[in-house]
Amino acid sequence: MKFRRRSLLATASFLPLTSGLAQSQAAKTLLLAAASTPEGFDGDALRPGTQEVVVQVYEGLTRYARMTRDGRTYLDSGKIEGNLAESWSMSADGKTWTFKLRQGVKSPFGNELTSADVEWGWNKSFFQKRTGNFIASVANVTGVKAVSKYEVAFTLSAPSSILLSCLTLYTPSIYDSTEMKKHATPDDPWALKWMEGNTAGFGAYHLESLRPSEQAVFVANPNYFRGPPAIQRVVYRAVPSGASRVSLLRAGQVQWIDRPTVQQVIEMQKDRRVKVEEHEGRTMSSVRMNTAMKPFDDVRVRRAFNYAIDKSKLKQSVLFGTGDTALSIVPPIVNGYDPSSFPYSYDPAKAKALLAEAGYANGLSLELNFSDIFWWEEQMAIQIADQLKAVGVTAKPQRITGSDMRARTAPGKQELLFFTFEDGPIVLDPVYTMALLAHSKGVSNRARYANPAMDALIDRARVSTDMTARVNVVKQAQKMWAEDAPWIMTVYPKTFEAMATGVSGWVPHPDDHERWSDLKLG
Amino acid sequence: MNLAKFLGRRLLLLVPLLLIVAFATFSLVRFGGQDPSAMLAGPTATEAEIARVRSAYSMDQPLAVQFATWLGRAVQGDLGKSWLSNRPVLTELIDRAPSTLELLLTGVALGALVGVPAGIYSAFRRGKAADYVARTVALFGFSIPTYFLALAMLMIFFYALDWAPPGMGRLNLMLDPPPRITGSYFLDALLAGKGEVARSAFSQLVLPVLCVAIAAAAPVVSQVRAIMLDVLAADHISYARAQGLRQALIARIALRGAATPVVTFIGAELASLVGTTSLIEYVFAWGGVGQLGLEAIIKGDFAVVQGYVLMLALFSVAVFLVVDLLVLALEPRAMLR
Repeated sequence: MKFRRRSLLATASFLPLTSGLAQSQAAKTLLLAAASTPEGFDGDALRPGTQEVVVQVYEGLTRYARMTRDGRTYLDSGKIEGNLAESWSMSADGKTWTFKLRQGVKSPFGNELTSADVEWGWNKSFFQKRTGNFIASVANVTGVKAVSKYEVAFTLSAPSSILLSCLTLYTPSIYDSTEMKKHATPDDPWALKWMEGNTAGFGAYHLESLRPSEQAVFVANPNYFRGPPAIQRVVYRAVPSGASRVSLLRAGQVQWIDRPTVQQVIEMQKDRRVKVEEHEGRTMSSVRMNTAMKPFDDVRVRRAFNYAIDKSKLKQSVLFGTGDTALSIVPPIVNGYDPSSFPYSYDPAKAKALLAEAGYANGLSLELNFSDIFWWEEQMAIQIADQLKAVGVTAKPQRITGSDMRARTAPGKQELLFFTFEDGPIVLDPVYTMALLAHSKGVSNRARYANPAMDALIDRARVSTDMTARVNVVKQAQKMWAEDAPWIMTVYPKTFEAMATGVSGWVPHPDDHERWSDLKLG
Repeated sequence: MNLAKFLGRRLLLLVPLLLIVAFATFSLVRFGGQDPSAMLAGPTATEAEIARVRSAYSMDQPLAVQFATWLGRAVQGDLGKSWLSNRPVLTELIDRAPSTLELLLTGVALGALVGVPAGIYSAFRRGKAADYVARTVALFGFSIPTYFLALAMLMIFFYALDWAPPGMGRLNLMLDPPPRITGSYFLDALLAGKGEVARSAFSQLVLPVLCVAIAAAAPVVSQVRAIMLDVLAADHISYARAQGLRQALIARIALRGAATPVVTFIGAELASLVGTTSLIEYVFAWGGVGQLGLEAIIKGDFAVVQGYVLMLALFSVAVFLVVDLLVLALEPRAMLR
């Protein structure tokens, strides 16, 4: 039984809500508690919290179609529709795509979207050579040029089966280049400095104010082309402690919290004051083995480690029974997922035999690095180490910082031997997934997995527009991945969102970030 | 020795002290094996691009050269940029320092206001019920982990009783902060005549200040009690008692003797509680320097960690300087030492 009393102290802090104006403002305001305020607003230079908010500000030329199932709205990964672009055409050789922009789309600054904005944004990504540049490279895009005020042409090095899916993303972003250019300087032609505390997109929201580490306030774009969103204002409050975020939601002080752990989710599911919704996950909790370093340069060792792990036990002990057991590098929610070629059942005897065959009959010792980027990592590292003991492997879990983990597993480094990580595609496409995780040049290939045959398969699928052939190639690639076994695949954790009971309309997105424009406050 | 000489000597000592602290932090951060160059270079960077970033940040130079480069910039007020936010470290520290000072100074002052009389009373009532109560409460304050204390305070006073506002920073979500004068929302709101904002800032302050006060008061009670017991056992107090002086007069004589060590101890407490305050800031989303430092350590944000530690060293030095001046005021003979 919980008593609700209002002391002088508490009353003082809620006084502003008592006026009529404030009440109507509060009714359209979403109060959100996150670990920190966003550290930047440039989709090409992702910093903590950046992705969560740039998806609210910058929209793509295309988007996934919506479908309804059991009364809920989902994205249909198999169907792409126009968004900032209303139509498009492809040349006969598949190397030139021309997009016709929707007319009358305006930014909060009142400037109308034109093809020059698209060109400017893509050139910015090409210049920065970061996230947007990777998206451009997997989609084979080499240049973007304004053809007329509302027509923009994309030049590709080869046909692309995933271009339209890639264009659903927030990056390369489409900026209000008229506004951006006002803040550019000769030293900073892309206005990157201004972007550290400002936004200028054509999406549903824009940043109104920022007090770093304290609060960011977003307001609806009054000119949003899909009409005014139900939520007009979002107060994005930094609450670093996860336990405090949960308490605030349960007490009704905020309506949305960022990143609850599964343990917190299970607690909140018992609380009638909180609504928890879930969706199948697309990122996999995995343990990576560096295939360029001993002992993992021997595929028998990698396979042995896969046979040594009891996935159902891991799922139960680390993820409290939630999530889908990982049987393919392609997530179950992506079309083309094929678990049929996954050969690893829990078989410690076979693991021991493989290790003996590889020259490790007397066992081996190594360090297992984990960080605090993902909540499950420490528990997973401990459990993996424990299970490996049974086959004579001594794995010593060793914590490193999140930044160290990211830095040492980045494409230019990839120097860790054995570590936990979670990755997945933000484009719901099997070829994109493979290009991201399994290609030797994939930015999330963090442990030097390189198989020329795999690269050839992925490259073939990337340029194939024949859907049947593409599905077959993806199937072969998944089989090859399972045989090469560069990761210990464990579980696809579910995506959970915790919100106040009055919040409705959540639609799961592939980047795991809610869109405030989907939500309604009851 | 006159006051100017005394201060000059103290300030001269400051230079080698800060150099040692700066170098030790600089080395420790780097010996941790972290290299943020790949992160700074971006997800698609090649090895050559990472090498260029290392070169641009002097990370490819020997440690001594890196330190010299950093020091050269630091003396000009450039402590580098946070790789997380890309903002200058000095700006980050200056922006957040007032909120931490507000919390720390108020908390320690409250802790001392309660702890000093409690310690004195406990010493005078040695072996009596009041003494046991004071010592037990102090032991509780000592034993309870700060992080847990902060969470428990929130659970009890906000979540269960609803007597206090939520731990969501320094101001109600619906209010805008007052124009910055001191950096303390409470004081600035008062100065700007914004009653509603001042009330909200005050209510947000209560729980975190109480946490700091509890953490500060516990050792103060024990130390003041011990100091007072020493003083009360001194010959001049025994003599005063033998002379039949009134208890109040004996207490005054004893207090004068205890003042110097008590002030010194509270100063040391103030300096050492900065670390504790960072945990309290974290739980209450206070957004101060402590929270910034803690997050920088967790995330490996080199430049911020260095700036944070340097600031702590400067703060400690400043506190001890003030303590020395207070001691001089209380006991002018100290200048001869």
